[in-house]
Amino acid sequence: MSVFFATFERHAHGEGLKGHSTHYCPGCGHGVVHKFLAEAIEELDIQDRTVAVSPVGCAVFLYYYFDVGNTQAAHGRAPAVALGHKLANPNAVVISYQGDGDLASIGLAEIIHAAQLGIPISVIFINNANYAMTGGQMAPTTVPGQKTTTTPEGRSRLNGLPLRMAELIAALDGPIYVERVALYDNKRRVRAKKAIKKALQCQVENRGFAFVEVLSECPVQWHMEPVEAEKWVKEVMTRYFPLGVLKDEPGEPWFQLTPPSFQPEKLLEEIGASQEAPPRFSKGFPAHLDPEDIAIKLAGAGGDGAQTAALLITHAAINEGFDATHIPSYGPESRGGTSYADVHICRSEVLSPAVPDPQLLVVFNAPSLHKFGPTVRPGGLILYDSTVIREEPELPSGVQAFGVPFTQIALDLGKKVVKNVVALGAFQAATQIFPEESFLTALRQFLQKDCALIPLNEEAFRWGVKAFRELYGQVHLQPQT
Amino acid sequence: MISLKKDLKSRPKPFLLAEYCKGCGRCIAACPKHCIEYSNEVNPVSGYVPVVIDYSVCNGCGLCLLACPEPYGLMPENRKYEFQLTDPAKQFGPRPTAETEPREIPDQVIPLPETEPLVVKGTYAAAIGALLAGCRHFFGYPITPSTEGAELMAKVLPHLDGVFVQAVSEVATVNHIYGCGGTGLRCMTFTSSPGFSLMLEGISYLIGAEVPGVFVNVMRGGPGLGNIAPEQGDIKLACRGLGHGNTHALVLAPADPQEMLDLTMLAFELSFRYRNPVIVLGDGYLGQVTGRVKLPRYMIQPGLPSWAVYGDREHRRNLICSIHLSEADLEAHNRRLVEKYRLMEENEQRADLYFARDAEILLVASNTPSRMVRGAVKKLRDLGVKAGLFRPITLWPFPIEHLKPLLPGMERLIVVEASNGQLEDELRLALGREEIVPHPPIHHIRHYGGVLPQVSEIVQAVLEEKEVEP
Ligand code: SF4
Ligand code: SF4
Ligand code: SF4
Repeated sequence: MSVFFATFERHAHGEGLKGHSTHYCPGCGHGVVHKFLAEAIEELDIQDRTVAVSPVGCAVFLYYYFDVGNTQAAHGRAPAVALGHKLANPNAVVISYQGDGDLASIGLAEIIHAAQLGIPISVIFINNANYAMTGGQMAPTTVPGQKTTTTPEGRSRLNGLPLRMAELIAALDGPIYVERVALYDNKRRVRAKKAIKKALQCQVENRGFAFVEVLSECPVQWHMEPVEAEKWVKEVMTRYFPLGVLKDEPGEPWFQLTPPSFQPEKLLEEIGASQEAPPRFSKGFPAHLDPEDIAIKLAGAGGDGAQTAALLITHAAINEGFDATHIPSYGPESRGGTSYADVHICRSEVLSPAVPDPQLLVVFNAPSLHKFGPTVRPGGLILYDSTVIREEPELPSGVQAFGVPFTQIALDLGKKVVKNVVALGAFQAATQIFPEESFLTALRQFLQKDCALIPLNEEAFRWGVKAFRELYGQVHLQPQT
Repeated sequence: MISLKKDLKSRPKPFLLAEYCKGCGRCIAACPKHCIEYSNEVNPVSGYVPVVIDYSVCNGCGLCLLACPEPYGLMPENRKYEFQLTDPAKQFGPRPTAETEPREIPDQVIPLPETEPLVVKGTYAAAIGALLAGCRHFFGYPITPSTEGAELMAKVLPHLDGVFVQAVSEVATVNHIYGCGGTGLRCMTFTSSPGFSLMLEGISYLIGAEVPGVFVNVMRGGPGLGNIAPEQGDIKLACRGLGHGNTHALVLAPADPQEMLDLTMLAFELSFRYRNPVIVLGDGYLGQVTGRVKLPRYMIQPGLPSWAVYGDREHRRNLICSIHLSEADLEAHNRRLVEKYRLMEENEQRADLYFARDAEILLVASNTPSRMVRGAVKKLRDLGVKAGLFRPITLWPFPIEHLKPLLPGMERLIVVEASNGQLEDELRLALGREEIVPHPPIHHIRHYGGVLPQVSEIVQAVLEEKEVEP
């Protein structure tokens, strides 16, 4: 049988008897299943492309024996590991071999989701009604009344009832083939062997997820002779775990993955990188605001568009060849509460992106004005939405404030949401930070995937500029350093 | 009838080497002809009582073969070979498939044209870095404030025929990475503090089994659910607590979106160079901050390492595994890992210095707090104070070699961080290990819960320190 290693080198370095015997106890069902699995791999001629994922449990050393690609997984996680392999190489035939503690207890989430995902992997589930490797504790599959080291009086109602995994898996839409088999006599063994081969076949044909539950003897932890153990499976276990096919859908071959692309042009396009330099309109750093570093804050209610306006200012600044950063307040706060954005524009390099004391503040509602108005530096400027903020705000000394009806202008344009772009226009007119074209370019870049929105936004911007000019004319700011 | 009889005769009869029989008796129960029974003595090699077969009755039905749990137990008799041989491998014929030597397929460096800087947020920059580094497999579980990185991957990967999997949990995530990384491919996740905690067991497995993988942890406030604001409370986990066992991984700490990209790219390179996971430790603020990001002039098309369990003939002999049952084997394995950690410590220390060479007061900070420190240093220098910034880019290994030459003449070290001294602990440990005594006194500015140290506060603190000086 060539799927087994010629010598089990990984079993105690293949020394002595261990080179050709398993680590399993005499009569253990694992060995029988291993043979069926090896034969199926051989018959299907898939040895080279098989990857076996071994679990934590008695079968942890599956990789001692199978001359296939092997990975040993953490307790319960074999299906997740198997999926990692399968998605990395869809041509691999990936087997997740697991016991009942592994699959039905700690790894329940992994197996259910792998099964429902339905990607072709083959799961061989060994149900021997206890945690065998750790010395025979109760498993989710332990049957009522069964004595284990953690149910010394027998599993009682208080310890719960056995979990029927095959039924659970068959109830999902993902799997195409689910069967429960046993090993207690010749007939069942022939059936089990077929089922294991079929589970691999489903994968070889790219048809889907297959699950075979094997009722398997654990003579040692059951304190029985192997032949007695066979009888116990037949007479007791099958009462709780009836044998048979639970699901067998024809399922068309569907699973295939195209090899990933490493085309540079494609990648650059996907990440939006361009070789074309955006046009520059600015004659130089807006030193009339600050010689090195301009600190701006925009604030409003979530949905006011403060973040987008901030991003547009950032984009415009970077297009003009300066360094700029934008940092939003985010999370629950941005879901309905105050949303604010900090922007820095620097001649060479932004040092700290936070704006605790803005020089320029744009606010969309009264709470934001109350919160951030007092933090504006002397010599600074506040621009606010006079549609919603009716009262002239109280200001720190040396700070000028200008109300512009952002919302009203946007409403007049027929779209309230563009009030942030109106604000941006007013911001341009008030600060002369960059030329109008600079903002319009950033706006067009921003909307390149929604071209239809460009005219309206451009109009909103121009109205903002116009409104500010009509209200206030030219404003002179005195930077204070 | 006649032909059937002939068939029966030609069917191989079971053959057994007594020492490989564990005497379980399953074959006895399976034989319909009752031709198997226990022998009457214990086999001196195995210590079990093997069975014997009465060939005069056996019809070669093979049912006993099906019942025997041992791969080299009952086997169909192969007449071509002599029976005296005791090596079952020879006994049952040569291997039909020969193991092949896996080759190393090297990565390819593909040149990129010069492009305009992108204006992207930190998480996006890291995702772009991963794509440039050849990552086409992403596994993750949504958690604020790291999710946007995953969202970008979900958007872009399908267009590059890559794979995006939203896992059932962080626990599943790290195990997907274990499988995919074990296949020899470049894969990653984005997570944030509570999710990172959940991944630690799996990271220990990755380290134990020497599987590469990149983990971008955008740290948030803790403990417990904490909040989603920036903190640096996972430095201890990343540097000292990567799950159980003797673990270490390179920990890279970016400070701006550009470094989110650059260091994520570097993380993949280092992860495969050392066959070890690499942690990119950002913070919530850094994940969200949008800035100018220059793309490198190359991208990577990954090859395939020779150790991969790829699932093909060439890699069939490979094994990804962290279990070593014998104490001697596990000790040897640990010694190999420890040697690898030593090489990382020797070769991978990285730091950024800002006005540090002549600094009398050296501020030590990483991630976003280091940017506030940068601002403060600038202000302090304008005021004539000789302040500087020492910014570890690798938090593990702590870049002590870069710090050492700065120490003479230094009056004070001030660690500025958003945690309870986790960065300071790394500094102190590094000084201690190098037996640098005495070293300048170490003071600190600390914040928690998403509050970050501000420029003015740092300037103030340094000026106050200056005043109390003799
Ligand atoms: S403890 Fe049970 S399951 Fe484990 S090897 Fe022994 S018989 Fe098999
Ligand atoms: S081959 Fe059939 S008849 Fe012969 S020993 Fe085995 S079970 Fe019995
Ligand atoms: S089934 Fe195999 S191991 Fe068990 S007694 Fe028979 S030959 Fe020996």
